[in-house]
Amino acid sequence: MNAYHYHYVPMGESALDLVLPNKIDVGQNQLIQTVGQQLLAQKIAGVTAIIPAYHTLTVNFVASLVTYGQLTQVLDRLIAAFDPQQAAANSRVLAIPVCYDGEFGPDLAAVAAYGHLSVADLIQMHTQTKYFIYMMGFLPGFAYMGTVPKQIAMPRLDKPRARLEPGSVGIAGAQTGMYPVASPGGWRLLGRTPLQLFNAQHPQLRYQAGDYIQFTAISKTDYRRIQALDLAGKYQIKQTILGDA
Amino acid sequence: MATIEVLNSGFAATVQDLGRYQYQSAGFPVSGAMDQASLKLANLLVNNDANAAALEFILAGPTLQFQAPTFIAITGAASSPSLNGQPIALNQAIAIQAGDQVQFAPMATGRYGYLAVANGGLQVPMVLGSRATTLKIQLGGLFGRTLAVGDALPFEPCYVLPSLAHRHAPVPAVKAPGHIRVLKGPQWDLFTPAAQSQFLQQTYQISQQADRMGYQLQGEPLPVPTENLISEGTVLGNIQITRNGQPIVLLADRQTAGGYPMIATVIGADLASFVQMSAGEDFQFELTALNTARALLAAQQQVLTTLAASFAAQKYQAPVGPARTGAQKLAQIITHRG
Repeated sequence: MNAYHYHYVPMGESALDLVLPNKIDVGQNQLIQTVGQQLLAQKIAGVTAIIPAYHTLTVNFVASLVTYGQLTQVLDRLIAAFDPQQAAANSRVLAIPVCYDGEFGPDLAAVAAYGHLSVADLIQMHTQTKYFIYMMGFLPGFAYMGTVPKQIAMPRLDKPRARLEPGSVGIAGAQTGMYPVASPGGWRLLGRTPLQLFNAQHPQLRYQAGDYIQFTAISKTDYRRIQALDLAGKYQIKQTILGDA
Repeated sequence: MATIEVLNSGFAATVQDLGRYQYQSAGFPVSGAMDQASLKLANLLVNNDANAAALEFILAGPTLQFQAPTFIAITGAASSPSLNGQPIALNQAIAIQAGDQVQFAPMATGRYGYLAVANGGLQVPMVLGSRATTLKIQLGGLFGRTLAVGDALPFEPCYVLPSLAHRHAPVPAVKAPGHIRVLKGPQWDLFTPAAQSQFLQQTYQISQQADRMGYQLQGEPLPVPTENLISEGTVLGNIQITRNGQPIVLLADRQTAGGYPMIATVIGADLASFVQMSAGEDFQFELTALNTARALLAAQQQVLTTLAASFAAQKYQAPVGPARTGAQKLAQIITHRG
């Protein structure tokens, strides 16, 4: 029996929030991801969608088909049966190629100086960590990931840039992320991935909350090569299972 | 497949259904009709599923020319529609012949109008389980954007509509709702008792900053909680309080996650009247209970269910089973346009 602290709160009559303590924590978030997936797998009539976030799971439902009380009972059972070891071992690790180049990463030098590192050591540090995706949003494909090593966790720019190119990879304090579409943004940019992270013609995403992302440094030549492959639909993201390592 | 030609684009007209629900976990906004009750009614009037894709338009509707026979229904805001220059009623199935033109006058009251087309609605491609348009990411609908002059909206022609003469619904008298009912939101308790009672007692108005993502309200600013929040999921009707103490009500194109405290959520039964309210109209929020909110929504749904049952009951009245051309002729006589 697990002793998790949580409660429920209605979000209107057609949704509810499962609320865990207000913190950013991988174990707690894996519970949210797992319980959310298991809830969907039960195919309960009336359950229409879930939104897993850092410390909450929002469940949308049709109020005439299923009640708040019925759903909290199901969630209680799933939480009690949650197996943290298994959830952690089953996580996917996806390798995302990134070209750490001055053209793509205008803040490389500033972040290196912030961490008292050479640019090469900064790249080494950014690529050696597996970043956990806590949640997706506010845009399709935008992954909220952590945790960036403290030494290079430089706060975001005081004044956001008007436009970041799709694929831009950057850090904002302890968070790291990639921009799926062009957007204004204040993140410190270190590089860019050649992969198309969002395409309105083929909107299925290649990663989801609960996955780990590990960046791999590539040259500008490889950037062009992978970009061409990916546009032709021939690039496969390298994928491993955390527990298999 | 036939098409509807867009002769005049109107203002920000988009293709919408009930929304792209299932991909919120990946960050996709739900989108879909702002006034879902009006979309459902329009679809019911032309014998469609509630989720069929229809045209949503604001302020001034588009001018459309139909290239094949069908039936349409127009619901929502008072959009003063006309067919070949003759006024036609809202909330009623209308027979359309090839070459017919439908146009609108600027809306007298309300914000969002709907035009549904029989035989399954607008046949734009399904994207991730929905035909709804999300403008911000150019997804779904017709090329992910608003209508433009020269566009062709695909639909399946329709020659007969069961129970055509009976497919009309009362047009409710438009009146300011005065009160919009809410349930406590996830961060209700973070607000001081003074802020909570101010929220419920003061008069609000919808500001000029009101679009498909959300409506900013104006009133006396509320004291804002100082706690640092981390982002969480949002739902239709969530009321966030921004740093300046003003509420934003999150609507169809809302971001899937937000970090502002959510003081309350507009109940489903009051969303349509809230969405259609004009800027500058006074209203207050009124706290209600979960069971009341459920019962009100169920009662609203029951109106549509009763209407659907009455159409089905009329369906088999004489004349039974005329040939297709005969039925079409009959429909023309009924609408005095033969």
